[in-house]
Amino acid sequence: MKKFWALFFWFWPLVALYVCLIAPGRNWWFPSKPLSTLGHQIDGLFYLILIIVTVTFVGTEFALGYALWKSAVSEPGKKAWFSHGSHKLEIVWTIVPAFVLVFISLTQLDVLADIRVLSRFPESVKEAPVAEVMARQFEWRIRYPKPGTELMTSPQPGDLYFVNEVHVPAAVPTMINLRTQDVQHAFFVPRLRVKQDAVPGLIIPVWFEIEEAGDYELLCAELCGWGHYKMKARIVAESPEGVSAYLTRLEREQNEDGVQEAETASVK
Amino acid sequence: MTGLKRLGLAIMLHTAWLKRAGFAGILAIVATGCSDDSSSFSISDRTSSLIPEAQSGIADTPGVVNLLEDKFGNPQQLKAWTKLPVQWGGAAAAVEVFAADGDGAKVRFTVAEGQEFPAKATFVNVVTGAGAGRTLGLSSWDAATGEAVLTGLDGVVLAAGDTCSIDGGAVIQSGRVLYMRHCSHCHGTAGDGNGPTAQYLYPRPRDYRHGVFKFTSTNDMSKVSREDLLRVLRYGIPGTYMPSFLLMKDEELTSIVEYVRFLSMRGEFERKLVNELASDYSADAVESRLKDEQRADIVAELGKFLSEDLPGVVDGIGGELEESWVAADTEEARIIPSVPRVPDNEESRRRGRELYLSKTLNCADCHGIDGAGNGPQTMVYEKNPVTNVPYDEPGLHDVWDNLNQPRNLHTGIFRGGRRPIDLFCRIHAGIKGSRMPSFKNTPHEDIWHIVNYVLSIPFESEPGATGLAAGPAAAPAAEAAPAAGE
Repeated sequence: MKKFWALFFWFWPLVALYVCLIAPGRNWWFPSKPLSTLGHQIDGLFYLILIIVTVTFVGTEFALGYALWKSAVSEPGKKAWFSHGSHKLEIVWTIVPAFVLVFISLTQLDVLADIRVLSRFPESVKEAPVAEVMARQFEWRIRYPKPGTELMTSPQPGDLYFVNEVHVPAAVPTMINLRTQDVQHAFFVPRLRVKQDAVPGLIIPVWFEIEEAGDYELLCAELCGWGHYKMKARIVAESPEGVSAYLTRLEREQNEDGVQEAETASVK
Repeated sequence: MTGLKRLGLAIMLHTAWLKRAGFAGILAIVATGCSDDSSSFSISDRTSSLIPEAQSGIADTPGVVNLLEDKFGNPQQLKAWTKLPVQWGGAAAAVEVFAADGDGAKVRFTVAEGQEFPAKATFVNVVTGAGAGRTLGLSSWDAATGEAVLTGLDGVVLAAGDTCSIDGGAVIQSGRVLYMRHCSHCHGTAGDGNGPTAQYLYPRPRDYRHGVFKFTSTNDMSKVSREDLLRVLRYGIPGTYMPSFLLMKDEELTSIVEYVRFLSMRGEFERKLVNELASDYSADAVESRLKDEQRADIVAELGKFLSEDLPGVVDGIGGELEESWVAADTEEARIIPSVPRVPDNEESRRRGRELYLSKTLNCADCHGIDGAGNGPQTMVYEKNPVTNVPYDEPGLHDVWDNLNQPRNLHTGIFRGGRRPIDLFCRIHAGIKGSRMPSFKNTPHEDIWHIVNYVLSIPFESEPGATGLAAGPAAAPAAEAAPAAGE
């Protein structure tokens, strides 16, 4: 029975190791491969930490198993060695984790800065948000600047409005201004690995470069009230021409005076 | 049974159940749930103000509550009053060929005249013949030929000529499921605008039972069209808690629209029925009549009314509902401006402002001289039109008895939509149920001037300055861009 426990504690690290090795290839950790440039860096950090944690876990478990095994096979009656108060050991297990943590925090600094710090944003997007995404209980309200003009922080005549659907260009860096009208929300696009809180009173620039055209799910990731689960929207990534065609269509719809529409209806 | 469940739960909770009942107790709760899962359409306050005999009938003669159950059913079992213009879903059909085949049977149906087979179908309700009243499953269905394989026959044999409904009520049932999931927590099971989350909301969620919806593209006297309801579901109502359901599928949205129309018609039916009875048979009316009448006589008179006159009244109300709801979806009901929008320039806005301030239109009386929603009418104490009692607070009230102050036009939030045609409809038809009146007799060109003015109000440099403030250069506060993370 004593040997069983040693084998038991050796068995689990092997399982953990196996799972960690096959998980990335099978998308067990993430809903898909990362589909934005920042996503690759974020996933890279995740896997780095995963490796560190796996090595630590497997090492600790094996040591535990070894201790159990050793005492299981030792002669009956042999007394345990009392090891409390080893100054050397204390120093080792304080310094080693400290180095690991400092290493992690230094490694992620660049990625964090790329995500958050405006001065490190790609030059092409710094001054040119494509849209304002206004979170509110419980939907996403989108404001685009009038085609040909820049997005202003306050609404301008000719601005275009939509709800729960954002059209952005694919394959080029894109920036949106994130705001909230009421409480805290979070702009979360799992497949792009973008997650940013929307904070009352702040205009928070969020940038991403979507690698593949297509539809992306946008969710609220900050419990914002009883209707939090309703806050689902769609990001449509398409060619820049597609986006401008969309905006032209939106502009036409937003200026409908009911007359043109009625004429086409009677033609049908 | 439910009572037992509740009792069981109460006992467990009150006797440190975790210790005693332990895991089995938790399992019992998980397995049975904590509450009764059946729901009901609540009756309106006005219905419950009637004397009990008028509510639930006398002997076999139905009262208001029985008629509601009879015509509309309950949330578990909806009833289709086919007179009403609701797309219930499914199609009526007759059996053409029936061949039993083991547990199932191969059948071919012919669709009733003027109808079409639904593209997808999963069940058949047998209406006439040996299997009348039975619901049978469909394991395969071909909408093109009407051929199907029936399951769950259990010995039932259908004969050629038996009538059935294929997937009958599928739309309204799917509408009900979606409504209960996404809408009922605010709008209530019966569409009374009084769901569990309603009390936290301002403005209050819509109570459908008046059959009145605010933002429509139909004439002032018409009801809401299906398209209008769909638009509200898709785009939400900014400035209120009504969110957008843009990401739901079209067929899901249209089935919700049908269910909302169904609930509205149910509510209207109830209102109109109670209107017939309230003046003579409300609890208050009966109490005052008791001064010089005997209660037994009043009840006898009510019995006579219920059995002799009410069937006709019910038919009449059904006819009214049918007519008005059908009319809302016709081209005649739709507001189509006779002239296109006049160009939005300074001149037009100035003209709009003049009209806004004019004696004839008098927009400023409610919306205020500078459009801040603070006109003199907001200080008036109104009377409740039904009870004739003044409201507690000053200001304008809507038909739902909620304080409903005129819109501040400076916010740039347009609840019914920001397209010029949306604003045109708001002015032309008024906002139904609210005190915003219809200006349908105003020349359309003038309405367009007002639309241009109203659209410019959020960008005015100062109240009444109708100049074109277009272009980012004129925008104040545009420079301040506090960016987090710098």
